[in-house]
Amino acid sequence: MEIEVQLTGSPIAERISPPRLAAHGAWLEFRGAVRDEESGGKISALEYEVYPEMAVREIRRILEALAVKHPCLAATVIHRVGVIPVGEAAIYVGIASRHRAEAITLLGEFMNHLKQGVPIWKRRALPVGSSAFRRPEPAKAGTPNKTAIKSLDEAMAEINSRCQPLPAVRAPLAEAFGRVLRETVCATEDLPPVDRSMRDGYAIRADDSAETFSVVDTLHAADWKPRQIKPGEAVRVATGASLPCENLRVVMQENVERNGNQIRIVRRENSSNVRLRGEDVRQGQPLVSAGTKLNAGALAILATAGHVNPLVSPRLRVLHFTTGDEIVPPDQTPKPGQIRDSNSILIRGLLQTCSCDVTQKHLPENFEAAKRLIETFNLQPSTFNLLLVSGGASVGEKDFTRPLLEWLGFEIIFSQVNVRPGRPLIFGINGSRVAFGLPGNPLSHFVCFHFAVAAALECLTGGEPQKFLRGQLAEKLDDKPCPRETLWPARLEWNGSAPRLRPLAWASSGDITCLMAANALVRVPANVEPIKADAEVDFLPVAAMLAK
Amino acid sequence: MRVLFFAQLKDVTGCDAVELEPSSPLNREQLWTLLLEKFPGLRGHRGNVRLTRNWEYADADAQFANADEVALIPPVSGG
Repeated sequence: MEIEVQLTGSPIAERISPPRLAAHGAWLEFRGAVRDEESGGKISALEYEVYPEMAVREIRRILEALAVKHPCLAATVIHRVGVIPVGEAAIYVGIASRHRAEAITLLGEFMNHLKQGVPIWKRRALPVGSSAFRRPEPAKAGTPNKTAIKSLDEAMAEINSRCQPLPAVRAPLAEAFGRVLRETVCATEDLPPVDRSMRDGYAIRADDSAETFSVVDTLHAADWKPRQIKPGEAVRVATGASLPCENLRVVMQENVERNGNQIRIVRRENSSNVRLRGEDVRQGQPLVSAGTKLNAGALAILATAGHVNPLVSPRLRVLHFTTGDEIVPPDQTPKPGQIRDSNSILIRGLLQTCSCDVTQKHLPENFEAAKRLIETFNLQPSTFNLLLVSGGASVGEKDFTRPLLEWLGFEIIFSQVNVRPGRPLIFGINGSRVAFGLPGNPLSHFVCFHFAVAAALECLTGGEPQKFLRGQLAEKLDDKPCPRETLWPARLEWNGSAPRLRPLAWASSGDITCLMAANALVRVPANVEPIKADAEVDFLPVAAMLAK
Repeated sequence: MRVLFFAQLKDVTGCDAVELEPSSPLNREQLWTLLLEKFPGLRGHRGNVRLTRNWEYADADAQFANADEVALIPPVSGG
């Protein structure tokens, strides 16, 4: 049986054509509509909630199982979700069969199963006059694509507002590198917790002006022997040793003559040679703030404070699909018309800066074949936070990725950004999941990753939003005026106090030679003449050296 | 492991998902223990809730592993 299942947030079409099957003698249609009453009260609409990935599968599974007993030719199921006004259809089922009997039976049984096991819920009823319900604008003919082209700023704003931080988890320090701290960790004690000696020498009372002292104790770095020190007493201390009490000073051993248990100070230094309790951090002060991406230094501080299971962003699961029949694995020799896949390793490398698991799969260019393949994967396409789809380098990338994302339940927020390179960038949202369709060229990948995917990663992990910095051009940026904004690959150098940016040569979005050196993207406004050397420009750092 | 909540369970937990990182796969009982620790309000719903693992209703002896997407499905009302 041919099965088609759709979930939609829009009204179900008034007329749905039966499949073109010569064999069918019956085409049975059913529409379930929203009644004007729910639990005894008058309502204006019902809001439906769905677990999209599972609902689509479950509907398909039920139909396949029923078709064994009641062989039919084709079935189309459309379930509308979101707010559905009274009188409009929540579900449409169309079944084609040779004779009417099996279609009628299958329909009845299917609806019973649907109401028992498909994860769709009537979430709430909106009473008559409720302001929460707004009838959606009917789509105008000829403009089926509501997602107009976005400017770079608009696209980044959409990403920042749509991607929400994922629930935080506790993770041991050894697994926390690269994750974002989601709590502010304060010092539970002063650091250092006691006064410590900064020298090998002799600790005496800070107010003791005597010249000779008796040595009453010896302290090594690991010793902890609190005691009061009387005037005329000294304690032998090693560098790093905890001092036995406060208000002491340490006289370096080089400035002391020792004779048995007696010492004589030959020279007094100005410094007390003591690292005071709480000199680094006072008890209660923030040690590492929420939103910090945990690097080696931050982890060392958490370890020092004994905070061994910090609350951090979860390890992200990234699913990466490459597409395009012209792509061959990099260890194979491309035939004429084919190219090696460089995007897989590029994406894997770019994701190294965050804590994530990456699963990569190649899809055939035929949409139906790709869908069938995804369904056979043992990996569970639902178990990802971020989906990246690399378009083929030559054809079909837009046509393929967008329906693929929609099929996987994503709402497309935009499908084009007015930026060069990388204009056909698709951004979709499905609950907390985020998807990007990246244009196929490696340079476009590089650029889109840094202004779009990296921004989403920051949002999902709860880090700092991406922002442009100011720098100076190290040399003239010789570009013809372009009607689109450009993110120009550049090499960031430090010369004196200001970051300076050396534009790198690139001819087309397929040009990959500049990727190796690029560690910044210079923002070139639309329609400008070549920009002179030393001019101030905005840039996006793309290398770890400037990581927050 | 990502655990999703739907419909009224979102109101009970106050969120639509939680991330768990068990060191080894959990059986049904262990998973519930962990969830009830975090969200004691789920206790009253347990009898009506079905568990899914990677888009399918889980068997009685299912093991829920770190890479799985798990969902708590309260009684459904589609159609």
